[in-house]
Amino acid sequence: MGRTVGIDLGTTNSLVAYVDKESRKPKCIPGPNGSTLCPSVVSLDADGSIVVGERARGRLLTQPERTIYSVKRLMGRGAADVVEELKIFPFRIDPSSGNVIRVRLGERVFTPPEISAFILRELKTWAESYFGETVDKAVITVPAYFNDAQRQATKDAGRLAGLGVLRLVNEPTAAALAYGLHEQRRGLVAVYDFGGGTFDISVLKLISTGEGDIYQVLSTSGDTHLGGDDIDNALQRVVRLEIQAAAGFDVTSKPVAAQELRKALIATKHHLSDTQSAEIRLELPGGKTYVRGISRAEFEKIAEPIVARTMGPVKQALADAHMKPERMEEVVLVGGSTRMPLVRRVVEDYFSRRPHTELNPDEVVALGAAVQANILETGVQDMLLLDVTPLSLGIETMGGVVAKIIPRNSTVPASAQEMFTTGVENQTGIDIHVLQGERELAKDCRSLARFQLKVPPGPAGLARVEVKFLIDANGILQVAARDLRTAEQSSVEVQPSYGLSGAEIEKMLEESIEFAEQDFTERQLIEARTEAETVLRATEKTMAQPEVAIAADERRGIEAGVAALRQAFAGRDYKLIRTRLDELNQATTPLAERIMNRALAAALEGKQLENV
Amino acid sequence: MTAVSTPTKIARACWFCGAATDSAHFCAACGKIQALPHDTDYFVFFGLPRKLRIDSADLEKRFHQLSWKLHPDNFARASEQERKFSLQLSSVLNDAYRALRETLSRVEYLLAQAGMRKEGQHKQQAPPELLEEVFELNESLDELREARAAGGGAGETSGMRVKLEAAAKDFEAKLGDVDAELDRISGEWDAAVDAGANEAIRKALMGKMNEVLNRRSYIRNLVNKVTEELAA
Repeated sequence: MGRTVGIDLGTTNSLVAYVDKESRKPKCIPGPNGSTLCPSVVSLDADGSIVVGERARGRLLTQPERTIYSVKRLMGRGAADVVEELKIFPFRIDPSSGNVIRVRLGERVFTPPEISAFILRELKTWAESYFGETVDKAVITVPAYFNDAQRQATKDAGRLAGLGVLRLVNEPTAAALAYGLHEQRRGLVAVYDFGGGTFDISVLKLISTGEGDIYQVLSTSGDTHLGGDDIDNALQRVVRLEIQAAAGFDVTSKPVAAQELRKALIATKHHLSDTQSAEIRLELPGGKTYVRGISRAEFEKIAEPIVARTMGPVKQALADAHMKPERMEEVVLVGGSTRMPLVRRVVEDYFSRRPHTELNPDEVVALGAAVQANILETGVQDMLLLDVTPLSLGIETMGGVVAKIIPRNSTVPASAQEMFTTGVENQTGIDIHVLQGERELAKDCRSLARFQLKVPPGPAGLARVEVKFLIDANGILQVAARDLRTAEQSSVEVQPSYGLSGAEIEKMLEESIEFAEQDFTERQLIEARTEAETVLRATEKTMAQPEVAIAADERRGIEAGVAALRQAFAGRDYKLIRTRLDELNQATTPLAERIMNRALAAALEGKQLENV
Repeated sequence: MTAVSTPTKIARACWFCGAATDSAHFCAACGKIQALPHDTDYFVFFGLPRKLRIDSADLEKRFHQLSWKLHPDNFARASEQERKFSLQLSSVLNDAYRALRETLSRVEYLLAQAGMRKEGQHKQQAPPELLEEVFELNESLDELREARAAGGGAGETSGMRVKLEAAAKDFEAKLGDVDAELDRISGEWDAAVDAGANEAIRKALMGKMNEVLNRRSYIRNLVNKVTEELAA
């Protein structure tokens, strides 16, 4: 059994963390270059191998057509959803994209969960070399406002990376967990999580009970396409026009120059969090250099409309929790974008309270994930997360209207039962369309799944099928149906509207050669161990039989073989187990032959007696 | 009969050890988590009598205690069967808490369980005692719409808006009266439960509550309509 880690799979950076057994404190694991941040960038090398992290980020400049960043924006979305995104992000969407996007990297095509799986696998490797042990399970964080498809896509990515996903935890909740542990706080807390590509706001109540601390989420809201990326893009729009005017070409039409510019703008943005002015400098193709000074005030004017967009969800979350901003006892800032003085000011003004920034905003989510991973791994339950579903669940009814069956901000797991019947005679199927969202019409909500309930033909209204919709602790929908007349569980094949089918995932698993190799090794080990166990047991049984004559040196040889095999058995080298098995078999062959002969002789004797 | 009687314990056998478990969440003999009985009543789930005046602090405490015991996190390493039961029970716990923690949804739940929740026959029909005021309000709404359709700006409609705002406020206040009435009947209901009152008395009380709920939703819709119109 391998170890369990907590992973923050971020838009810009991803991290892996664990809980140190001695200090019982969560800790982020550094990668080979000493940093705990793994840039969420994936590149396909010309030799077909995958490069992830810092090295891949370098390739954004040299091989942009083989490299992808911010893939989290594509998780759980269809081609039609990302039309706007494509205007600003250099995603190379393959024409084969349908309800699952396919991205082209060089000569190959990948789905977003596959690309995310490469990032997860990289972090898994970081942790494995840190521990010197295998890692096979993880708690992965997701934006609180992620819908069912986006969550499912994240879970799929975990599976493709060879990780058992014990739980998906909402990022602000994970942050609250890490923060609460650190500060020993109680009461009402607002977590404002503004990351690279997503924004979440959660209102929590931290309660001490006799059993331990409860982190109860009262409400959550957000925008899964609002983050620091958008500020970079806004800044780019301004600069792009200036470069066009000065140098006469569109910098975004040249992938390498566009990435150079993006890098320069991000550096400028970071600078302006610490200084009042900075300089944007870009070497243009053709030897010219673009240089421009920018003050913090000027930058904030560009960023302000984007930061302002976070306030809609903030107000919604407070209204849903029946709270006024002044009632929050603590406000916690999470995510790299909250380093901006503008963001801190906006939050402080709204809540009339200085927000907490003590913990590293990049690491806090991964630390919380590690705490939850530790709880699930050890079974030592000294705190409990009660999270909510961010969006209402509904089913389509007559006229395309959505009937809400589980309201948003319901504590998960949550469920609802609905009764369905037939409308016309001899109808054999009832079509059900499940949606997520707050709008009244099905066409304005997010389609989760369509499926058909099979019913035996009969008069209209005779069939009675009860369908149970259940949102699990990961925020993922499960559906079960029961025919009330036969009391039998009906099978429901739920095909996700936006997501990979079970068969597609299986296929991807097979296609992943590295994965196959690892599986192969694992299977070989299991087989070798099983065989070793059988041989050891048989040998010992035979040796213990008093009627079997064994010479002293023969006995010594066999015992040495048994000891050597036992030693190999404890390790993980299947080839060594095989070698020791062969050696033991050789040592026991003469003995086995003698026993066989005796048995054969006895059997023949028996036969002859019978035949007489 | 059973629908409105006080909670009864149903004898069941533990799936794991076979001991009788009543309707407890865990087997008293072996401690294993139990399947959810099909006809779970939310009051029973919390171990509460079917009464309407609930101390919300006490309910929250029960919710937290049961969450500790039933949440899937507690069963991450348990058998598949136990994980399934934990998921079922904790989802019903959360559904039950959602239904019982607010006065209105609690009454709605009680009535629905007894088959006594009936929407008004003519949903759009105003309660008789409000007829006159509703008529006036609708007239004001029409005026505002017409003025707006005729191209009336903020200046021309401001008078109408003030009138509508006042009317909306008046109806909001009526909501308070309705809630007080519901609370009063809730008290009567609880007394009836304590006294072991008969079916007829209970049904009469539920009928009254149903009427109040209908009146409440009528007024609520009206206020929403005015708010929407004013925001348009």
